[in-house]
Amino acid sequence: MKTAAQRTEQPKPDEKHSTRDFAELLRANQSMVFSIAFHSLRDRAVAEELAQEVFLELYRRLNELESEAHVTYWLRKVTTNRCIDYIRKRKLRMAVSLDSAPEPSSTDDHEDVLMSRKLRALISGLPEKARMIIILRYQEELMPEEIAKVMDMPLGTVKSHLHRSLALLRDKIDRSMGEVR
Amino acid sequence: MDDLEQQLRRALARKDPSPWFEAKVLAAVAAQQTARRTWWERLRWATVPVAAALVLAAVVWQHRRADAERAAGLEAKARLQLALKVTRVKLEKIQHKVQTATNEL
Repeated sequence: MKTAAQRTEQPKPDEKHSTRDFAELLRANQSMVFSIAFHSLRDRAVAEELAQEVFLELYRRLNELESEAHVTYWLRKVTTNRCIDYIRKRKLRMAVSLDSAPEPSSTDDHEDVLMSRKLRALISGLPEKARMIIILRYQEELMPEEIAKVMDMPLGTVKSHLHRSLALLRDKIDRSMGEVR
Repeated sequence: MDDLEQQLRRALARKDPSPWFEAKVLAAVAAQQTARRTWWERLRWATVPVAAALVLAAVVWQHRRADAERAAGLEAKARLQLALKVTRVKLEKIQHKVQTATNEL
Protein backbone atom coordinates (compact mmCIF):
# COMPACT_ATOMS: atom_id res chain seq x y z
CA MET A 1 0.00 0.00 0.00
CA LYS A 2 1.31 3.42 -0.91
CA THR A 3 1.85 5.97 1.85
CA ALA A 4 0.63 9.55 1.67
CA ALA A 5 4.17 10.74 1.01
CA GLN A 6 4.55 8.32 -1.90
CA ARG A 7 1.19 9.34 -3.36
CA THR A 8 1.92 13.05 -3.11
CA GLU A 9 4.48 14.32 -5.57
CA GLN A 10 7.07 16.90 -4.62
CA PRO A 11 5.94 20.52 -5.04
CA LYS A 12 7.11 22.34 -8.16
CA PRO A 13 6.82 26.00 -7.13
CA ASP A 14 7.16 27.48 -10.61
CA GLU A 15 4.71 25.13 -12.23
CA LYS A 16 1.41 26.73 -13.30
CA HIS A 17 -1.25 24.39 -14.44
CA SER A 18 -2.81 25.05 -17.78
CA THR A 19 -6.24 23.90 -18.84
CA ARG A 20 -4.64 20.91 -20.56
CA ASP A 21 -3.21 19.65 -17.30
CA PHE A 22 -6.66 19.39 -15.82
CA ALA A 23 -7.42 16.03 -17.47
CA GLU A 24 -4.21 14.59 -16.01
CA LEU A 25 -5.02 15.94 -12.55
CA LEU A 26 -8.51 14.50 -12.84
CA ARG A 27 -7.16 11.08 -13.85
CA ALA A 28 -4.58 11.09 -11.04
CA ASN A 29 -6.93 12.19 -8.26
CA GLN A 30 -10.38 10.89 -9.17
CA SER A 31 -10.19 7.73 -7.06
CA MET A 32 -8.96 9.70 -4.03
CA VAL A 33 -11.75 12.30 -4.23
CA PHE A 34 -14.42 9.74 -5.07
CA SER A 35 -13.32 7.37 -2.28
CA ILE A 36 -13.34 10.08 0.40
CA ALA A 37 -16.87 10.99 -0.68
CA PHE A 38 -18.01 7.39 -1.09
CA HIS A 39 -16.68 6.21 2.27
CA SER A 40 -18.25 9.13 4.08
CA LEU A 41 -21.60 9.28 2.25
CA ARG A 42 -22.06 5.57 1.44
CA ASP A 43 -23.86 6.42 -1.79
CA ARG A 44 -22.09 5.94 -5.11
CA ALA A 45 -24.27 8.38 -7.10
CA VAL A 46 -24.07 11.14 -4.49
CA ALA A 47 -20.32 10.56 -4.10
CA GLU A 48 -19.79 10.92 -7.87
CA GLU A 49 -21.93 14.05 -7.95
CA LEU A 50 -19.94 15.58 -5.10
CA ALA A 51 -16.63 14.54 -6.67
CA GLN A 52 -17.68 16.17 -9.95
CA GLU A 53 -18.48 19.44 -8.15
CA VAL A 54 -15.08 19.33 -6.44
CA PHE A 55 -13.30 18.89 -9.80
CA LEU A 56 -15.32 21.72 -11.39
CA GLU A 57 -14.25 23.95 -8.52
CA LEU A 58 -10.67 22.76 -9.05
CA TYR A 59 -10.89 23.75 -12.72
CA ARG A 60 -12.04 27.25 -11.77
CA ARG A 61 -9.18 27.65 -9.29
CA LEU A 62 -6.47 25.88 -11.27
CA ASN A 63 -4.31 29.00 -11.63
CA GLU A 64 -4.34 29.64 -7.89
CA LEU A 65 -2.75 26.27 -7.10
CA GLU A 66 1.01 26.18 -7.30
CA SER A 67 1.97 22.52 -7.44
CA GLU A 68 0.60 18.99 -7.60
CA ALA A 69 1.12 18.65 -3.84
CA HIS A 70 -0.94 21.81 -3.38
CA VAL A 71 -3.65 20.39 -5.66
CA THR A 72 -3.77 17.14 -3.64
CA TYR A 73 -3.96 19.05 -0.36
CA TRP A 74 -6.66 21.36 -1.78
CA LEU A 75 -8.71 18.42 -3.11
CA ARG A 76 -8.61 16.59 0.24
CA LYS A 77 -9.59 19.75 2.11
CA VAL A 78 -12.44 20.74 -0.21
CA THR A 79 -13.80 17.19 -0.50
CA THR A 80 -13.71 16.76 3.29
CA ASN A 81 -15.49 20.06 3.89
CA ARG A 82 -18.12 19.32 1.25
CA CYS A 83 -18.77 15.86 2.70
CA ILE A 84 -19.22 17.34 6.19
CA ASP A 85 -21.59 19.99 4.78
CA TYR A 86 -23.53 17.35 2.87
CA ILE A 87 -23.88 15.09 5.91
CA ARG A 88 -25.00 18.02 8.05
CA LYS A 89 -27.54 19.20 5.49
CA ARG A 90 -29.09 15.85 4.79
CA LYS A 91 -28.61 14.49 8.29
CA LEU A 92 -27.12 11.46 6.68
CA ARG A 93 -25.96 9.76 9.83
CA MET A 94 -27.08 6.28 9.11
CA ALA A 95 -28.29 4.26 12.04
CA VAL A 96 -26.33 1.08 12.08
CA SER A 97 -27.72 -2.08 13.49
CA LEU A 98 -25.10 -4.69 14.18
CA ASP A 99 -27.86 -7.26 14.47
CA SER A 100 -28.62 -6.76 10.79
CA ALA A 101 -25.02 -7.40 9.74
CA PRO A 102 -24.56 -10.75 8.07
CA GLU A 103 -22.81 -13.43 10.07
CA PRO A 104 -19.22 -14.20 9.14
CA SER A 105 -18.70 -17.52 7.42
CA SER A 106 -15.91 -19.95 8.12
CA THR A 107 -13.57 -18.94 5.26
CA ASP A 108 -11.00 -16.23 6.02
CA ASP A 109 -11.56 -14.32 2.75
CA HIS A 110 -15.27 -14.11 3.22
CA GLU A 111 -14.70 -13.12 6.83
CA ASP A 112 -12.50 -10.24 5.63
CA VAL A 113 -15.15 -9.02 3.22
CA LEU A 114 -17.81 -9.12 5.91
CA MET A 115 -15.54 -7.40 8.39
CA SER A 116 -14.81 -4.62 5.87
CA ARG A 117 -18.50 -4.21 5.18
CA LYS A 118 -19.29 -4.08 8.88
CA LEU A 119 -16.49 -1.57 9.53
CA ARG A 120 -17.69 0.69 6.71
CA ALA A 121 -21.20 0.59 8.14
CA LEU A 122 -19.90 1.41 11.61
CA ILE A 123 -17.78 4.27 10.25
CA SER A 124 -20.82 5.74 8.51
CA GLY A 125 -22.50 5.83 11.91
CA LEU A 126 -19.78 8.04 13.40
CA PRO A 127 -20.32 11.82 13.73
CA GLU A 128 -19.24 13.63 10.55
CA LYS A 129 -15.90 15.00 11.77
CA ALA A 130 -14.85 11.75 13.44
CA ARG A 131 -15.84 9.90 10.25
CA MET A 132 -13.72 12.18 8.07
CA ILE A 133 -10.75 11.82 10.43
CA ILE A 134 -10.94 8.01 10.24
CA ILE A 135 -11.21 8.16 6.42
CA LEU A 136 -8.27 10.54 6.07
CA ARG A 137 -6.21 8.42 8.48
CA TYR A 138 -6.89 4.96 7.03
CA GLN A 139 -7.87 5.64 3.42
CA GLU A 140 -5.41 8.45 2.74
CA GLU A 141 -2.76 7.31 5.27
CA LEU A 142 -2.43 10.87 6.59
CA MET A 143 -0.69 11.51 9.89
CA PRO A 144 -2.69 13.31 12.61
CA GLU A 145 -0.68 16.49 11.93
CA GLU A 146 -1.69 16.41 8.25
CA ILE A 147 -5.33 15.71 9.15
CA ALA A 148 -5.30 18.68 11.53
CA LYS A 149 -4.09 20.88 8.69
CA VAL A 150 -6.62 19.58 6.15
CA MET A 151 -9.52 19.91 8.60
CA ASP A 152 -8.40 23.15 10.27
CA MET A 153 -8.52 21.48 13.68
CA PRO A 154 -6.15 21.46 16.65
CA LEU A 155 -3.87 18.41 16.68
CA GLY A 156 -5.13 17.41 20.12
CA THR A 157 -8.73 17.31 18.88
CA VAL A 158 -7.77 15.12 15.92
CA LYS A 159 -5.90 12.71 18.21
CA SER A 160 -8.74 12.51 20.69
CA HIS A 161 -11.30 11.92 17.89
CA LEU A 162 -9.07 9.14 16.51
CA HIS A 163 -8.60 7.56 19.91
CA ARG A 164 -12.31 7.68 20.76
CA SER A 165 -13.44 6.45 17.34
CA LEU A 166 -11.01 3.51 17.40
CA ALA A 167 -12.12 2.56 20.91
CA LEU A 168 -15.77 2.76 19.84
CA LEU A 169 -15.19 0.69 16.70
CA ARG A 170 -13.14 -1.89 18.64
CA ASP A 171 -15.84 -2.18 21.25
CA LYS A 172 -18.62 -2.61 18.69
CA ILE A 173 -16.64 -5.16 16.70
CA ASP A 174 -15.75 -7.13 19.85
CA ARG A 175 -19.36 -7.11 20.97
CA SER A 176 -20.61 -8.25 17.57
CA MET A 177 -17.97 -11.00 17.46
CA GLY A 178 -19.07 -12.10 20.93
CA GLU A 179 -22.67 -12.24 19.75
CA VAL A 180 -21.67 -14.29 16.72
CA ARG A 181 -19.77 -16.75 18.87
CA MET B 1 -0.07 -1.51 14.67
CA ASP B 2 -3.09 -3.55 15.73
CA ASP B 3 -5.41 -5.73 13.73
CA LEU B 4 -8.27 -3.21 13.77
CA GLU B 5 -6.11 -0.61 12.02
CA GLN B 6 -5.19 -3.13 9.31
CA GLN B 7 -8.85 -4.03 8.89
CA LEU B 8 -9.72 -0.33 8.62
CA ARG B 9 -7.13 0.09 5.88
CA ARG B 10 -8.64 -2.82 3.98
CA ALA B 11 -12.19 -1.55 4.50
CA LEU B 12 -11.31 1.97 3.40
CA ALA B 13 -9.14 1.08 0.41
CA ARG B 14 -9.57 3.54 -2.45
CA LYS B 15 -12.26 2.74 -4.96
CA ASP B 16 -12.63 3.87 -8.55
CA PRO B 17 -15.61 5.90 -9.68
CA SER B 18 -17.66 4.67 -12.64
CA PRO B 19 -15.73 4.38 -15.95
CA TRP B 20 -17.60 7.34 -17.45
CA PHE B 21 -16.84 9.67 -14.52
CA GLU B 22 -13.80 11.24 -16.19
CA ALA B 23 -15.71 11.91 -19.43
CA LYS B 24 -18.63 13.35 -17.46
CA VAL B 25 -16.40 15.80 -15.58
CA LEU B 26 -14.58 16.86 -18.75
CA ALA B 27 -17.92 17.44 -20.49
CA ALA B 28 -19.12 19.55 -17.54
CA VAL B 29 -15.89 21.58 -17.71
CA ALA B 30 -16.35 22.11 -21.46
CA ALA B 31 -19.96 23.21 -20.90
CA GLN B 32 -18.82 25.63 -18.21
CA GLN B 33 -16.14 27.01 -20.54
CA THR B 34 -18.67 27.52 -23.37
CA ALA B 35 -21.11 29.23 -21.00
CA ARG B 36 -18.38 31.56 -19.79
CA ARG B 37 -17.23 32.29 -23.36
CA THR B 38 -20.81 33.03 -24.48
CA TRP B 39 -21.22 35.41 -21.56
CA TRP B 40 -17.96 37.18 -22.42
CA GLU B 41 -18.84 37.43 -26.11
CA ARG B 42 -22.25 38.87 -25.25
CA LEU B 43 -20.51 41.40 -23.02
CA ARG B 44 -18.03 42.22 -25.79
CA TRP B 45 -20.85 42.94 -28.26
CA ALA B 46 -22.67 45.00 -25.64
CA THR B 47 -19.62 47.27 -25.38
CA VAL B 48 -20.15 48.56 -28.97
CA PRO B 49 -23.57 50.26 -28.38
CA VAL B 50 -22.46 51.38 -24.92
CA ALA B 51 -19.35 53.04 -26.41
CA ALA B 52 -21.43 54.64 -29.20
CA ALA B 53 -23.92 56.00 -26.67
CA LEU B 54 -21.05 57.44 -24.61
CA VAL B 55 -19.52 59.16 -27.65
CA LEU B 56 -22.92 60.58 -28.66
CA ALA B 57 -23.53 61.86 -25.13
CA ALA B 58 -20.09 63.52 -25.12
CA VAL B 59 -20.76 65.23 -28.50
CA VAL B 60 -24.18 66.52 -27.38
CA TRP B 61 -22.71 67.80 -24.11
CA GLN B 62 -19.87 69.57 -25.95
CA HIS B 63 -22.36 71.13 -28.40
CA ARG B 64 -24.58 72.42 -25.59
CA ARG B 65 -21.59 73.82 -23.78
CA ALA B 66 -20.44 75.70 -26.92
CA ASP B 67 -23.98 77.11 -27.39
CA ALA B 68 -24.07 78.33 -23.80
CA GLU B 69 -20.65 79.96 -24.17
CA ARG B 70 -21.74 81.69 -27.42
CA ALA B 71 -24.91 83.03 -25.76
CA ALA B 72 -22.91 84.31 -22.79
CA GLY B 73 -20.47 86.00 -25.20
CA LEU B 74 -23.29 87.74 -27.12
CA GLU B 75 -24.82 88.97 -23.87
CA ALA B 76 -21.47 90.38 -22.73
CA LYS B 77 -21.00 92.08 -26.13
CA ALA B 78 -24.45 93.71 -25.88
CA ARG B 79 -23.67 94.99 -22.37
CA LEU B 80 -20.35 96.41 -23.50
CA GLN B 81 -22.01 98.16 -26.48
CA LEU B 82 -24.61 99.70 -24.15
CA ALA B 83 -21.91 100.85 -21.74
CA LEU B 84 -19.95 102.45 -24.61
CA LYS B 85 -23.11 104.20 -25.86
CA VAL B 86 -23.84 105.63 -22.37
CA THR B 87 -20.24 106.80 -22.06
CA ARG B 88 -20.38 108.42 -25.51
CA VAL B 89 -23.56 110.34 -24.58
CA LYS B 90 -22.02 111.53 -21.29
CA LEU B 91 -18.82 112.64 -23.05
CA GLU B 92 -20.87 114.55 -25.66
CA LYS B 93 -22.74 116.36 -22.86
CA ILE B 94 -19.47 117.27 -21.11
CA GLN B 95 -17.96 118.44 -24.41
CA HIS B 96 -21.06 120.58 -25.06
CA LYS B 97 -20.79 122.21 -21.60
CA VAL B 98 -17.08 122.90 -22.07
CA GLN B 99 -17.76 124.40 -25.50
CA THR B 100 -20.54 126.67 -24.11
CA ALA B 101 -18.32 127.88 -21.23
CA THR B 102 -15.45 128.67 -23.64
CA ASN B 103 -17.77 130.73 -25.91
CA GLU B 104 -19.09 132.76 -22.93
CA LEU B 105 -15.52 133.80 -21.98
